[in-house]
Amino acid sequence: MEITWEDGTRTAYTGKQLRWACPCAECRGEGGSPGRLSRVKTLSDEELRVKDVTLIGQYALQIAFESGHATGLYSFSMLRRLMQ
Amino acid sequence: MDAPTTHQVLEALATIRDPDLGRDVVSLGMIKELDVSSEGRVSFTFELTTPACPVRDRFKSQAEDAVGQLAGVTGVDVRMSANVRPAFMRPKPSEILPRVKQTIAVASGKGGVGKSTVAVNLAAALRLSGASVGLLDADIYGPSVPVMTGSLTTPQQSNGHLLPIEAHGMKLMSFGHLNPGSEPTIYRGPMVGKAIEAMMIQVDWGRLDYLVIDLPPGTGDASLTLAQAVPLTGVAIVCTPQDVATDIAMKALQMFRRLNVTPLGLIENMSWYVCPSCGHRHEIFSHGGAESAAKRFGVPFLGAIPLEETIREDADSGTPVVISRPESAGAKAFVEIASQVAARTSIQSYRQLPVINVH
Repeated sequence: MEITWEDGTRTAYTGKQLRWACPCAECRGEGGSPGRLSRVKTLSDEELRVKDVTLIGQYALQIAFESGHATGLYSFSMLRRLMQ
Repeated sequence: MDAPTTHQVLEALATIRDPDLGRDVVSLGMIKELDVSSEGRVSFTFELTTPACPVRDRFKSQAEDAVGQLAGVTGVDVRMSANVRPAFMRPKPSEILPRVKQTIAVASGKGGVGKSTVAVNLAAALRLSGASVGLLDADIYGPSVPVMTGSLTTPQQSNGHLLPIEAHGMKLMSFGHLNPGSEPTIYRGPMVGKAIEAMMIQVDWGRLDYLVIDLPPGTGDASLTLAQAVPLTGVAIVCTPQDVATDIAMKALQMFRRLNVTPLGLIENMSWYVCPSCGHRHEIFSHGGAESAAKRFGVPFLGAIPLEETIREDADSGTPVVISRPESAGAKAFVEIASQVAARTSIQSYRQLPVINVH
């Protein structure tokens, strides 16, 4: 996935980078309990392939993976930080 | 003397800069249908980005002067027109509200500061300028738009869509139209989101230049749903001058910033009161709080509205004050603010959102 920002700069992301950065409660954990991404060591290829991207308002992207996982809302500020 | 070339005319017009967009009016595409006759008569259409443009008259005289000074010109005929452009440069329209060009939210954070009164009059003032305008009342628990616009009817259905209520030349939809009477709406958060989404998706809004959205107080469900469902052009924040209102308005402002929704600016309501018996100006809720807060947070200050009994009376009787008493100080303040909002909104038409490509 590639993003061209308002200022013209471009950043590219692999499905693997995005999947491991998923900010959703299931992956990150909530209320002190650890999330799935801290429990597993590997993810299947299906989990790492981006299937669809939907714009949420103008602040985030909802990224759906081939596995069906699509609960993460990746804010633009987070996506920019990911590449710095 | 030979008539000037169209190139020379455009060069002369390119000296005019749009103060809000910060570029010359030729490269912004505002000059259309330019014609230069062999006798030296120049005629063209000056297409503004909003009919509520605050510098409309200035542009017209600047254009006449710039072209009139060229050698060989015997007359200048400027046709002023307006065409509201869609928010953001993007390849395809949003799936929700595809035929609505600009969505403007009115929020406050705090309740009771006159947000709905401002939203109704802002919408009515944009309508008076000649734009096509809708008003969506997103306050599910305390819908005020039906009373304030005198539209206490229920919507008709057509082809599975709800038709908006028409009043004062505007298209309206409120939960007060869908659930009229004194029965309260008792909803948990997720239901509020669904109700607001339904008023966008299931209502046939048609083509609109502006959809003004009156938000409920708070920084939760309603605002989040809205900011997630549609790319809002921007949000106008209403507050009264005292600290308790500006502090909470700033929380609303910061929330919208996090959601990447542009703050169009701050509006100070109930700014002053002129006593009808003594004529003295009282500043009941203090004065200037919004302007200094706007400076502190780096957003435009859009204007101040007086506290007038007539604004309240006209809201209760269902005709926005900008329509019923256009000469009143309150109405004039609303019209000036609407034109500032329209100008700030136009800037967003030239903004490019991030473009996403998936390989």
